[in-house]
Amino acid sequence: MTAGLYVHVPFCLTRCGYCDFNAYAGLGHLSNRYVRALAREAEMHAAEWADVRFVSVFFGGGTPTTLDPRELVDLVDRFRGAFGFDEPAEITVEANPDTVDVESLTALRRGGVNRLSMGAQSFDPAVLAALERVHQPSSVRRAFAASRAAGFDDVNVDLIFGANGESLDSWRRTLEETLALQPEHVSAYALTIEPATPLGRAVDAGRTPPPDPDAQADMFELACDLLGAAGYGHYEVSNWALPGRECRHNLGYWERRPYLGLGAGAHSWRDGRRWWNVRPPEQYLAALESATKPTGGDEVLDDDTLRLESVFLGLRTAAGVSATDVDAGRAAPFLEEGLLDERDGRLVLTERGLFLANDVVLALTD
Amino acid sequence: MTDPSLIRNFCIVAHIDHGKSTLADRVLELTHAVSAREMREQFLDRMDLERERGITIKAAAVRIQHESAGNTYVLNLIDTPGHVDFTYEVSRSLAACEGAVLLVDAAQGIEAQTLANYHLIQEAGLTVIPVVNKVDLPAADPDTASKELAELVGQSPEDVIRVSAKTGLGVEDLLMAIIERIQPPAGDAHDPLRALIFDSAYDAYRGVITYLRVFDGTLRTRSKIRFMATRTEVECEEAGILAPGPTPVDALGPGEVGYLVTGMKDVRQAKVGDTITVAGKPGAREPLAGYREPKPMVWSGLYPAEGGDYPALRESLERLRLSDAALVFEPESSMALGFGFRCGFLGLLHMDIVKERLEREFDLELIATAPNVEFRIVKGDVVTTVHNPSEMPQPGTFDTVEEPYVLATVVTPSEYLGPVLDLCQARRGSMVDMKYLSPERAEVHYLLPLAEIIFDFFDQLKSRTRGYASLDYEHWGYEPSNLVRVDILLHGEPVDAFSAVVHKEKAYQYGKQMVERLRELIPRQLYDVAIQATIGSRIISRETVKAKRKDVLAKCYGGDITRKRKLLEKQKEGKARMRRVGRVDVPQEAFIAALRVDQRSGSGSSSR
Repeated sequence: MTAGLYVHVPFCLTRCGYCDFNAYAGLGHLSNRYVRALAREAEMHAAEWADVRFVSVFFGGGTPTTLDPRELVDLVDRFRGAFGFDEPAEITVEANPDTVDVESLTALRRGGVNRLSMGAQSFDPAVLAALERVHQPSSVRRAFAASRAAGFDDVNVDLIFGANGESLDSWRRTLEETLALQPEHVSAYALTIEPATPLGRAVDAGRTPPPDPDAQADMFELACDLLGAAGYGHYEVSNWALPGRECRHNLGYWERRPYLGLGAGAHSWRDGRRWWNVRPPEQYLAALESATKPTGGDEVLDDDTLRLESVFLGLRTAAGVSATDVDAGRAAPFLEEGLLDERDGRLVLTERGLFLANDVVLALTD
Repeated sequence: MTDPSLIRNFCIVAHIDHGKSTLADRVLELTHAVSAREMREQFLDRMDLERERGITIKAAAVRIQHESAGNTYVLNLIDTPGHVDFTYEVSRSLAACEGAVLLVDAAQGIEAQTLANYHLIQEAGLTVIPVVNKVDLPAADPDTASKELAELVGQSPEDVIRVSAKTGLGVEDLLMAIIERIQPPAGDAHDPLRALIFDSAYDAYRGVITYLRVFDGTLRTRSKIRFMATRTEVECEEAGILAPGPTPVDALGPGEVGYLVTGMKDVRQAKVGDTITVAGKPGAREPLAGYREPKPMVWSGLYPAEGGDYPALRESLERLRLSDAALVFEPESSMALGFGFRCGFLGLLHMDIVKERLEREFDLELIATAPNVEFRIVKGDVVTTVHNPSEMPQPGTFDTVEEPYVLATVVTPSEYLGPVLDLCQARRGSMVDMKYLSPERAEVHYLLPLAEIIFDFFDQLKSRTRGYASLDYEHWGYEPSNLVRVDILLHGEPVDAFSAVVHKEKAYQYGKQMVERLRELIPRQLYDVAIQATIGSRIISRETVKAKRKDVLAKCYGGDITRKRKLLEKQKEGKARMRRVGRVDVPQEAFIAALRVDQRSGSGSSSR
């Protein structure tokens, strides 16, 4: 059995208005203790996961690059000591353009990190401001060049579209700037308004307009067109990659392979059970420093929920779901409408269908 | 039994807010009919709804004793409902009296309901005691109000009694006038019994309680009695007077007002206006005049918001009918709303009351279709009635359609006469006559389709006259009209709940408005949805809800999967609550909002 290892780093330099991840600005002073706690948590799980071969490690956040590169490298070494790996494993670090340079990236690369995910979001300063991102488009270009100089040959550029004030033309420029960098992988997310964020409250109060779904659909189509033409395969709703550069770690989520999550608020999944750690970093630290597991809750999925998840996650990807897993009568109208395609016994959402995935999933499941 | 020469039976009638309930309260206090401990505001209004709305829905009666010139008089105050929906019930309460106090607010003067009430009092042949109320208010103009009122009732301004129901000023004079001016009841205690039912109520413990006035003969406890119209024979378990609580007596003689308990369980067996006599041979042959069956004038489909509540709605309507003889209902089903009932009401207020009682007393959540009148479809010699617009046949399949008309009375300050006439004309009215009550105030009479009245006419009247105009009306009968059925189609499927029968000239406006409204309310689907308004096969208006293009969770990774799945499950629940019309999912809220808009908006075209 293969699995992924997710490591959550909840520290950020600033909080962005749209983000509802488990991330905090101003907790940097906890980072040393936090790194020790991660190592300890890995050891606690070592025995239970001894029969599993890990194929990926993903440092997400937050901003993992707020940690010292030596700390990240040291953690990778400790994970290699605690768990069995299928080498070469894919080891990704999420990087904020303003927190990396050639030196730090070289340290990561030498320490075994082989993939970077760069939080670019946009190349339009107005859009970056609307997202409350503090970096400039020039920082992205500089950080990207640094990653190449440090020897990274597998780099993702993360983009967000549909922020207030972004036009289709601006989005086109962002995509073109991205393509000019020739990354191996592009993630492009439609901006989603989360209620419990400053942006969510601004929209709720009418201070900021919510994203226009039609404008976002236009932007999505443009991304499909431009990225497709540049040779990137659209392998998940929001993810494109050059052939062979799909993110193994993230594919694991959608293919429902097991994963172990380490760190505050991290989720794990194995054998039909999902469990998660406590979210506040202080609580997470307190648990591990008293040698207890930091588990915050869990759920065991029943058959209906398992089926719902497998259809809903499977349809997000280019692999789709097996036609035999879905009622043919329910699928028929979507095949007719051009939202679904049937290929080699599998049902796959078309590009138009991908952006309407919820509707299709709801109609195909009970 | 009381000597009839010492009995005075009277009622108080007034326009809404002219102080009827307050005057009744003062009369009860002054005559010690109610102890200070028991006293509360609007004493005679028993229902919560009556107190909240400040109106009288049910009739009630109370027996008062008052000393004058060494005699103890028995005054029976019969309270009357104060709304046009209950005109028939009012007429039966009036029929139980010999005299009426016609009450007018000294600051407001005569209003439409004053005129309508006076008309009813005259028809009933009652002695009128004109009274001007609120004379202590700074804005009061008792002289003008007295002059207007004296002129209306054909008496001299000196005959008008001036009171303040709030302070009690003049109430003693009023009691004296009641004793002196109103005739004592006639009637012989030995004649066959004839007692008029002016109200009946349902009590959970005692069953039906009938309120009555004895005209002839004697009603005795334990006697066998007969309800002449419903041909029900029962034992009089208990007869009594209302002093003010139910107080049993052995017998009620001529002129007396009281109540009767029989153990009956359904108010429809004791109908307002029916005559009670004794069972068998000694019974009266002829009932008292004036009885008629309650006739619903306004219809609406009531549907449970939750389909599973249908049995509960049926049971609730059945239970409500035990205490509301005027309520009629029959099962119907709507493609859009599921199973429900087409209910007939005396009018809009009655409809509101029933809806509110169902929601409040029976804890049901309801969807109501826009109210409509009854249509008569004439083909040759055959007349069929239609209570649901979606059952209206297509043009060409009948000769004529008739709809009910009312004779409306509007009293308005002269400065607003123009807007009032405009409104009546716009609502297909034809003027019957118009006159000035004074240089400042005019009275207009219009024949209007009832359908136009139930469609926000009153709100429009109020807004065009800054709240100063008043309205009353009486039913006139059916007249032929140029009516058509407008259907609303979603993606080619008619939505029966939105069908309306409207005047031909207003059909386009109605169709356009509904279609535009629905475009706002219907969520985008996976394909374009056409919304059309049609008359027969002709499309008169069309809008399109464009296909939706985005409904996806952009980000979904390890930690998010549980949360994102829950969002999806929530979306699924929302979808399950939608009603399906053909291929189109319509949220319940859209139905409710569209039906509500239809009733409230000012186009004045719906007659459903």
